[in-house]
Formats: sequence, structure tokens, C-alpha cells
Amino acid sequence: MSETWNLGLKLLIITAVAALALSFTNYLTEGPIEEQRIQANMEARLAVLSYAKDFEELGIDDSFTGGDYIMELYRGIDEGNKTVGYTFKVLAKGFGGDMEVIIGIDNEGSIDGVRIGNHAETPGLGAKAADEEFVEQFGGKSIDKPIQVKKTENLDDNEIQALTGATITSEAVSDAVNLVMNYYNQILSDRGADN
Amino acid sequence: MKLREIFTNGIFKENPVFKLVLGMCPTLAVTTAAINGIGMGLATTFVLIGSNLVISLLKDFIPSKIRIPSYIVVIATFVTMVGMIMEAYLPELYDSLGIFIPLIVVNCIILARAETFASKNPPIPSIIDGLGIGLGFTLSLTILGSIREILGAGTWFNMKIMPASYEPALIMILPAGAFITLGILLALINRFTTKVD
Repeated sequence: MSETWNLGLKLLIITAVAALALSFTNYLTEGPIEEQRIQANMEARLAVLSYAKDFEELGIDDSFTGGDYIMELYRGIDEGNKTVGYTFKVLAKGFGGDMEVIIGIDNEGSIDGVRIGNHAETPGLGAKAADEEFVEQFGGKSIDKPIQVKKTENLDDNEIQALTGATITSEAVSDAVNLVMNYYNQILSDRGADN
Repeated sequence: MKLREIFTNGIFKENPVFKLVLGMCPTLAVTTAAINGIGMGLATTFVLIGSNLVISLLKDFIPSKIRIPSYIVVIATFVTMVGMIMEAYLPELYDSLGIFIPLIVVNCIILARAETFASKNPPIPSIIDGLGIGLGFTLSLTILGSIREILGAGTWFNMKIMPASYEPALIMILPAGAFITLGILLALINRFTTKVD
């Protein structure tokens, strides 16, 4: 019996010291980690809505179908607190699982920029969605017509070229863009006029 | 053994990837680019040095019956600390190594060194052993990552080094490329280090 107690006590001491060391590290790194996240999110929003000076978070309208996939919605404002556009973070279903797509729509009714956040797409194939070359295709597209993914070279105004060997990823990104277009057209465009 | 021997032992004679063939999960998974190999290797080195030191200091305190849970607690603590520090100060590296940081806990190299070296040797040699094995691991991952990145993406440390006409061999940065590269390297190293009758 006493040996069991002895072993248990020693394990308790080891785990207690480990817990102490961890809580101390957590205390030191908590602040910087939080700052990193805020900074990274801010940079991602600025990258897709360059006119904005600051952002204000908005709630997602429950009545919108597919609203569950929209994780974050921000109103971009300029110095005079006027709305210059909106940024969305959408959880898209990629080939390798969830992928974050960040989309900015400006007041003129066109897409200002698209960026890919965390994703688990195949390196060399779907992961190329995060490259400038792919996402810049969305820039300046009108939000009047849904975007189509094409594998051919000849593209219409509302079409983008799919990534070679990664059609599912390409479509996941364009679906995300189309989803926020609908959200903007159905819910935000009226409110934008009020400002 | 002299400290110098302990150090070089980890890099050559008992190189964790090419000689002991331990820690294959991170070896195969993260080596899609040279920079990932270095990052994963150095994170593992830090954990190895820390856990070897602590386990060596505690070798008379830890009863042999509960040594495995004790080692795992020590290792997991160091890994969690590395993860938190990396996320706070090296966020880009943290993003690219992603889920592999927590997996250092179950990297068998670390438990193997705790069991075979640190629990039987004084603190200073244990630190040197951790450093040697860690750098051997880093070197191996960087070699694998470099070969796969150059052939599979045409770049090295994100710099374009292959001519524009070179069509990257995608398979090299897919999982299959990891097995192919590792297999060929192991074969070459065995060919030149073992004497054949």
C-alpha cells in the first residue's frame, strides 16, 4: 500500500510542477498571442478592402440561408465613419476540409479582394488557391452575376479559371464568394444606402 | 564517452532519421519545404534538450515503475511551451508547422533518448546528447525538405532556383514523394556506410 501511495505522490508532484510551468508560460504568451491574432485578422481585412481605415464588427442576419457559413462580418469605415464596404470571413468546404475565405465587397458593388486564410488543401494543387495569381482573378468582379469556375482559357466577365487539378478547391472559393454576394445583395445593400 | 563523441553520435552514427529511422511521422509529413524541415527540427531540438536535462536531473527521483508517464508529462510540458512561445513570437512558422507541433509529444525520438540516454547519464552529457540528436534530426529533415522542394516546386527556401522551363514534379511534395526521397536516401547512405561482403 505504501509503495502505491509513494508512486502516486511522486506523479502528483511531477504533474503539479508541470502545470505550474505551463501556467507561467501561458501567462507570459497570452497577451502576444492575442495581439498576433488581432493583427493578422486586421491585415487580412485590409488586404481585401483597401479603402477602409477601420472596421466595425456586425452580427449575421439569421434569416439568411447559408448564414451559418459566414463566420465574421465587418463594416469597413473611412475617417469620416462612412461605410466604404464590407469584409466577410466564410468557412468554405475545400478538398482537404474547412478553408477560410476572406472576401471584401466595396460600395460600388464589386469585389475588392479575396484572400485564403487557414486551410488544409493539398500542397502544390489546392494550396495554390492562396497564391496571388488565383485570388486576384476575383478582384473587380461585379456582384450582379454569380461567379462561374471554368477550366478553359476564354473567360467571360463573371468567370474565373480553375486551378489545374484542384476543381473542388476552386469551386469552394467561388461558392464562398457567391454566398457573400447574395448576403450583400439581400441584406446589406439596402442598409448601405441609408448611410 | 567524451562530450564531443556524444554530440557527433547524434548527427552521424545514431542519426535519428537515417540510422535509427525514428520519428517518421514528422519526417514524412512536414518536409514539403526546406524551411519547414529546419523549423520542425529546431523545435524538436529544443524539446529534446529540455526533456533530456529534466529527466537526467530527476533520474533518482522518478521510480522506474512510473517512468513512462513521468517522461510523457515532462515532454508534453516542453512541447506545449514551445507551441505557445512559437505562436506568440514566430506566428508564420507556427502557421506552417500547424498540427505537427503537438505531435512532437509522441515523437518516439524524444522518449527513446529519455529512456536510453538521459535516464542513465548526468545532466551535461544529456544536454549534449539532446543537442546532437536534435541537430541530426534537423539536418536530415532539411536535406529531405530541400530535395522535395527543389524537385517538387522548383524553389529552395522559397527562392526560385530552377530555370523557368522546369516543370515541377508535383509528386515530390505529395506524400508519395516523401517515401520515395527517404527510401532513396536511406539506400544511398546504407550503400556507402555499410561494408558489403
